[in-house]
Amino acid sequence: MSTTQTLTKPPEYWQLHDPGLFLEPPSRWRQSGLLMQWQLRRNAQMAPMYITVQLLLAIATVLGYGLLIGEPDRVASLYLTTGGPTISLVMVGLVMTPQWVAQARTEGSLAWMRTLPVPRPLFLVADLAVWTMMALPGLVVGLLVGAARFHVGLSISWPLIPGVLLVALTSSAIGYAIANLFAPSLAQVLSQVFVFVIMLFTPISFPASRMPDWAEQIHHWLPFEPMAQVVRSGLASADFTTPGRAWAVLSGWCLVSVAAAAWALGRRQ
Amino acid sequence: MTDILDVHELHKSFRRGHRIVRANDGLSLLVGQGQVMGVLGHNGAGKTTLAHQIVGLLRPDRGSIRLAGVDAIAHPELARQLTSVQAQANVPITGLTPLRAIQLVGRIRGGKPASVRTRSHELVEALDLGPWAEVPAEKISGGIARLTAYAMCAVVPGQLVILDEPTNDVDPVRRRLLWEQIRELAKKGAGVLLVTHNVREAEGVVDRLVILDHGQVIAEGTPSELVSRHAAGFKLEVDTAPHAQLSWPQRYPRTRRDASRSFLTVPAEDAAPAVQWAAEHLARGSIRRYELSPTSLEDVYVDMVSNENEQEKAA
Repeated sequence: MSTTQTLTKPPEYWQLHDPGLFLEPPSRWRQSGLLMQWQLRRNAQMAPMYITVQLLLAIATVLGYGLLIGEPDRVASLYLTTGGPTISLVMVGLVMTPQWVAQARTEGSLAWMRTLPVPRPLFLVADLAVWTMMALPGLVVGLLVGAARFHVGLSISWPLIPGVLLVALTSSAIGYAIANLFAPSLAQVLSQVFVFVIMLFTPISFPASRMPDWAEQIHHWLPFEPMAQVVRSGLASADFTTPGRAWAVLSGWCLVSVAAAAWALGRRQ
Repeated sequence: MTDILDVHELHKSFRRGHRIVRANDGLSLLVGQGQVMGVLGHNGAGKTTLAHQIVGLLRPDRGSIRLAGVDAIAHPELARQLTSVQAQANVPITGLTPLRAIQLVGRIRGGKPASVRTRSHELVEALDLGPWAEVPAEKISGGIARLTAYAMCAVVPGQLVILDEPTNDVDPVRRRLLWEQIRELAKKGAGVLLVTHNVREAEGVVDRLVILDHGQVIAEGTPSELVSRHAAGFKLEVDTAPHAQLSWPQRYPRTRRDASRSFLTVPAEDAAPAVQWAAEHLARGSIRRYELSPTSLEDVYVDMVSNENEQEKAA
C-alpha cells in the first residue's frame, strides 16, 4: 500500500499548500456521498418534477386501479395499496435509471465521470440513493392515500427495510446494466416498454393467479412477483407472509443484476 | 528525467460496419515529469482512443502503457488515480456553479477540503473566472465552461494530466492565461499530454510533440527539431496574377497551391535569390504579392499529414 501512496500522490507543488497532506486517504463512504451530492445538485432543477411525477404515479396506481376494479375486498385492497410503492421502486430502477444513464452517455458526461478515480460500483450506489430519495415522497403518499381510500389498516414489520432495499437495488442494477450494455436510443425504448409491462402485466397490484398459466409460470422466475411479495408482507404483515422462495428468487436476481451492472460499468471495450 | 507515461507499440482497432478502423496502430510515446507533450493530428487520428486507453475506458488490443512505472492496463483503478483528464466535449454541469463543480471534483479526486478550497480559488483567479465562479452553469458561455472543465481537471492534478483541446471556444485573453496555467502544471512536476489542433499556439507551449496520422506517430521531437528536420529554411508565399504565365524556379519544391496562391520551400541559403526572383516577377506584373517567412510548425504539420494522405491515395 505504501508504494501506491507514493505513486498516486500529486506532483510536488500541490503539497506546498498543505505540506505532505494534500490528499486524504481514500474513503468509499466519502466518495459515495460526494457523487450523490454531484448527482443531486445536477438534478436539483428537475427534482420537483420527478418527485411530482412519482407522486402522481403512486396515487394513480392506487386510485386508478381502484376505479377499474370497483369496490375491492380487503385482500384486493391490500394488493392495490401495497402494490403502489413496489411499482414506484421498480419504475425508478427500470425506467428512470436507464433514461438518466442514456442521457448522460449521449451528452458525454458519463465517459468523463468514469475517468475519475472512483470504484465503479459507487456510481451505482450513488445513483440508486439519489433516485430512491426522489421516489420516497411518492412511495409514502401513495401508501397513505391507498390506506385512506380503501380503509385498510397496515401492519408494518421490520422485513420491510431489507425488502425495500433489495427491490430498489435489484431494479436499479437491472436498469443500469441495460443502460450500459445497449445503445442509448435502444435503452430509452426498452425503458418505455417496461413502464407498460410493469403497470399492466406484472402481478404486483393483483395476485398472480389472475394471469394465464403460462404468464404465471414466467413470473415464477422473474423478480417482480417476489418484489411485490416482500413489500406487501412488510407493509401488511398481519395478512401476508413472504414465502422463502420469494426471498431466494429475489436475492438471486439481486446478486446477478448487481454483478452484471458492476461488470457493465467496469467493462473496457 | 523520470518518465510519467510510457506508451509502447499500442494497437487498438474498432469494427465500423464491415470495416476495421485501426485507431492506434503501433503507437509509442514517452512523457517525462515536468514535460508538456503535444499530440497533433487530424480528427480520427487516434488521439482520444489513446487517452481512453490510458485511463482504462478502452482495452488495447496489444502493447503496453506504463504510468509512473505502473502497468496501467492491468491496474485501471490506479491509472485513474495517477491521471486527470479534461475531455474533448464539455462536461455538462447544469445545476452547479463553476466553483462548486471544481471543488466537488477536487474532493472526489481525494483532495482535502481546505486544500481544494485554496486551490480552486487560485485557479478561478488565475483563469479570470471570478465574475462567473458563482453563476449557475446554465448561464455561462462555452468558453467559460471550457475553462471550468480545465480547472476541474487541474484542481487535484494527477501525475499525468491529459488535456483534450483545452482552448476550444476560449477567448484570446483567457487563452493566454490558460496556456500559462498549463506550463505551470508542468513546472510543478506533472507530465502533460496536450491533444490539440491548434498547432500555432501549441508551438509555444509544448516541450516536445508527436504528430499522429492514422493511429501512427509520423514525427516526434521538439517544435524546432521538427521544423528543421522536415524543412529547414523559409516559405515563399506567392499570389500570382490572373492568367499570368509564370516560370517557377525548379529547385524550390512547390508544396501547396490553391487557385492563385503557391508556396515554395526555400532553403535558408537561397533566401536572397528567391526574393530576387519574386521581386522581378512582381515588377513584371505576373505576381501580385509575395511574402518570405520562416517555415512554421503548422506548415510542417500540414505538409506531413497531407503527404501521408497523398501517398496513401497513390498506393
